[in-house]
Amino acid sequence: MKRFLISFFAALVIGLVIGLYLGWVPFPVQYVDSPARDLAQRYQDDYTVMIAAGYRVDLDLTGAVERLRVLGVENVAQHVQEVAERYITTSRDVAEIQLLVVLAEGMGRLTPMMEPFRPVMLPGQGS
Amino acid sequence: MSESSASSRSRTRQYQRPRRLISWFGVVLGVSFGIVGGLLLAWSQPVQEYDTAPWQLTAADRSAYMVAIALRYDSDGDVGRAVQQLIDLRLPGDPIEQMAVAACELATTGYVDNASGLHAVRAMMRFYQAQGRSGCADQVISVDDPASTTIVDIQAPTSTPTLPPPDTKTPTPDGGIGGTPTPNILVIPTSPPQTDFTFVNAATFCDSTRSGLIEVYVYDVNGATGIPGQAVRARWDGGESTFFSGLKPERGTAYADFQMSENLSYILDMPGRADPLAQPLVAVTCTTAEGQRAVIGYRVTFRALE
Repeated sequence: MKRFLISFFAALVIGLVIGLYLGWVPFPVQYVDSPARDLAQRYQDDYTVMIAAGYRVDLDLTGAVERLRVLGVENVAQHVQEVAERYITTSRDVAEIQLLVVLAEGMGRLTPMMEPFRPVMLPGQGS
Repeated sequence: MSESSASSRSRTRQYQRPRRLISWFGVVLGVSFGIVGGLLLAWSQPVQEYDTAPWQLTAADRSAYMVAIALRYDSDGDVGRAVQQLIDLRLPGDPIEQMAVAACELATTGYVDNASGLHAVRAMMRFYQAQGRSGCADQVISVDDPASTTIVDIQAPTSTPTLPPPDTKTPTPDGGIGGTPTPNILVIPTSPPQTDFTFVNAATFCDSTRSGLIEVYVYDVNGATGIPGQAVRARWDGGESTFFSGLKPERGTAYADFQMSENLSYILDMPGRADPLAQPLVAVTCTTAEGQRAVIGYRVTFRALE
């Protein structure tokens, strides 16, 4: 009986460790119906770039702000500035940086760091 | 004698056999209980959500994400990336078809009541139509973005305060229901149904005698002949009002006006005839040339397309 109990409890501990590993690493709980504010940062950044791309086409600042509110950020302009500066400091795709800079400028958040990425208007191009 | 000797040898061997340290039955039972217990423990722990992927979003936020995908596609035309992002959303069935379904849902709700929403749904339509799909949004709105959604260059903040708005200066013609008849009977000239109108421009003015007034002018295609009896709608946070051109003949048949409340934002459109202005008209304060304080006014012009 003693032999059985020792084996059982030793195996129970090992089984517990295996169970915890399985439950946390290969098969973790995956939530659905999460709000956008819980998006991983890289997806939040992607989303911001997508909205910035839309803004470049329609220059609809109100629409861009409304769409970014989905992320639950307290200060949308601040969020755009932070994403733009993070993209610059982490040497991300220049085209994406430019999109973010255009949106940041539209929100009055153009910083010296962003200046080199402002789109250049050549003579004869648009207004 | 021989039987008793064999039995004795067997018993001796049994006691001489080394005892196992492990009870395999105990091990199997322990591991089983342990794994089950570990899984239950792991899955029942309060989880701090992080690294949420787009496919885990609520239906509404997934829809917003699809709008963003369409907007980006509209900007760079990168079909591959757009499709991949839709696949990442793990939508049931054909992801492009799902874009059409989402556009349909948005087009049949208040989402398209403003220019931003219209533009977004049109971007979605352009995406799925280019991939040979169709949806109910195609019947609700046109994929072509008419000139009426031209951006208005108005320098005003976009806050939306919640003060209750006053009634319009020009009441809607309700056929005189109730109320005492007034001696001045105003006959609203009617005109044959027009095709869609387009927003032409919006200008601001600061005048203490016309403080906070939206002046709307509705012209025929030639841009000079006023069209009376045209409904213009102003919407604000929590309300809306429709007013008509031509109710003040002394200002011309094209003229209609609406009195704004200070600090409110108004979306202006011609219901069913012209898209809403891309930016709200905000009733901010201004200082007149004489140094008087007033609420800014807007002069907005619509013109018939044909």
